[in-house]
Amino acid sequence: MNPPPNALPALIPVLVLVVALDGYCLIDLARAQSVRYAPKIVWALVILLISAPFGALAYLLLGRDRTGRERPRPGRPAPQVHTPAAARQSPAAAVPPGPLVVTTTGLTRDYGGTGLLGVDLSVPRGSIYGLVGPNGAGKTTLLSLLAGTRHADRGTISLAIPRGRVAVCPDAPEFDGWLTAHEVVDLAVSLTAPAAGAADPQAAATALAAAGLADAADRRVAVFSRGMIQRLGLACALAGDPKLLILDEPAAALDPAGRADLLAMVAAMRGRRTVIFSSHILADVQRIADQVGILRDGRLLYQGATRDLLDTYLQPRWLLRLAGDTEPVAAALAAQPWATVNQAGPGMLRVDAATIEAGERGIPAVVAACGARQVSCEPAAADLESAFLALTAAGASPVTSTRE
Amino acid sequence: MALILPSALSSATSRGLWQLEWRRMTRTPRAVALIAVYVLFGLIEPLSTRYQNQLINHVSHGVHIQLPPPAPADALSAYTSQVATIGLIVVVAIAASSLTFDARHGLAVFLRSRATVTQLVWPRFAVSAAAAAVAYMLGTLAAWYETSLLIGSLPARPVLAGILCGIVYLAFAVALTALAASFVRSTVGATGITLAVLLLIPVAGTYHVISRWLPSALVSAPASLTGGAHQLRYYAPALIVTAVASRAILLGAVLRLRNREV
Repeated sequence: MNPPPNALPALIPVLVLVVALDGYCLIDLARAQSVRYAPKIVWALVILLISAPFGALAYLLLGRDRTGRERPRPGRPAPQVHTPAAARQSPAAAVPPGPLVVTTTGLTRDYGGTGLLGVDLSVPRGSIYGLVGPNGAGKTTLLSLLAGTRHADRGTISLAIPRGRVAVCPDAPEFDGWLTAHEVVDLAVSLTAPAAGAADPQAAATALAAAGLADAADRRVAVFSRGMIQRLGLACALAGDPKLLILDEPAAALDPAGRADLLAMVAAMRGRRTVIFSSHILADVQRIADQVGILRDGRLLYQGATRDLLDTYLQPRWLLRLAGDTEPVAAALAAQPWATVNQAGPGMLRVDAATIEAGERGIPAVVAACGARQVSCEPAAADLESAFLALTAAGASPVTSTRE
Repeated sequence: MALILPSALSSATSRGLWQLEWRRMTRTPRAVALIAVYVLFGLIEPLSTRYQNQLINHVSHGVHIQLPPPAPADALSAYTSQVATIGLIVVVAIAASSLTFDARHGLAVFLRSRATVTQLVWPRFAVSAAAAAVAYMLGTLAAWYETSLLIGSLPARPVLAGILCGIVYLAFAVALTALAASFVRSTVGATGITLAVLLLIPVAGTYHVISRWLPSALVSAPASLTGGAHQLRYYAPALIVTAVASRAILLGAVLRLRNREV
């Protein structure tokens, strides 16, 4: 059978499609930072040699890295993160508790004995509320219920603000890698505050700047580090100017500098919006939270002012700094029935007394009796960790909220 | 679909979600792969049909096989049978990658704490179905062009009616993918469930009483219509059932996804 006269016009589209597809795939392969299942050279051979264009289709569907990673553009500096000067300032002093913005009553989500069991949460407006507890205590469940992404078995949640003014940032935010950071935040604006987005075209840029990602706004999310993704999640949460911000382990993926920036940023929100955040890092909670809730086994063991909790669990402990030999003083203190002594460092003793009064009266007397030269004697500050450990120890019973 | 359309389309907040789906299609190789598969088969199948005698004799090692000269409808039949398998797999995989928005927890929290399930499902369904429809149409047009050049002309009305049947079937497949995504969170799982169901439906079609009413009847419609075996009215029951089933399935997917927690 001879070829029909129309064979050439019929073949041209086939050839054009095959060449175009192979060309597209080869260019994409050359630009790709990584490919899947096989090295780039193997994929190049597959595209060129395996029954074109089926090799090209195989590359598109299987080999192409779906995160859409691209090489950093030459000549462009690596994304830098910046925190506004205002956010670097020390956290403001705790605001007096205002009217409640979140109240839960008997909130229960039972996962067969675990989960959340009868939690009565009270979050004052404008406060920074730190939620702490061991793994499995129910922190994420509580935050998910507040965010509306899970449903309670029993109990009520009362919000004093519209649901649309609540923003949430999970502990490990994820976004489509082929979007730029600006597009992600713009999407968040369009979903949460379309009117604000229409009124202020710079809303997304403002949120990115607040999260320290202004310089990375046009980069695709696929090339972001985990810390930058965390910041992007925060930018999305801030995008709609929420009145209640729910942050689940917001500093988990950040390096120390990033964590400090984030804490300063959150602390700077005090009074302007209410923030509920969970954290394993108790020092972070102590540093910025004026209200704290301690969860264990799904129950709220304590909630109230952070300062009140620290005062409750203030230990009768002092750090005694001496000039010269500490041995005689240590021996003399160890002989006292009310004191326990440990070497805390060169020239420094840590003295635990049975009571505050015993320490305040006894330590100066012993130092004087030994004829030692005292440099300083400071009460060891109570920290949230010791309060947390005391509260979450087996057998500890719930503490009534200081607001009740 | 009317039950879920108004709230999805009237809300200004949906603008970003439509834009998101457009970007998903164009920024990733989804659109390229989808169109490439359909157009490729549209170009190659008439060619292989035209030269099937030569191709068979080339690989038959001395045994001479002579097939009757191909008719134009044979080329379209070869095209539809190819896209009914490989093309369908690509359509379902691409739709599943979009509709399984609960597959990644962090992304699910981002989307679900900001948009309703209806707002999330509708653009994903519509864009995936529209992309599949465009790919199917381009592939059929390519097959029509090649067939006209190599074998003979095809009548326009049956070809267009066949395109209509194919598009309605693909929309059904995408709706079924949405329902599968409400049962499993993973993209691979949703793809597998959808393809399994789509493969099982023709089995029910072996019971001849209902075969005309099943969505699977639409798969072979383009070849039957262009071959003159049936008129479009023959496929009216299947078209109606498929359209109604797509709507019901999509509604079921939305209701199921609403109750799912992330």
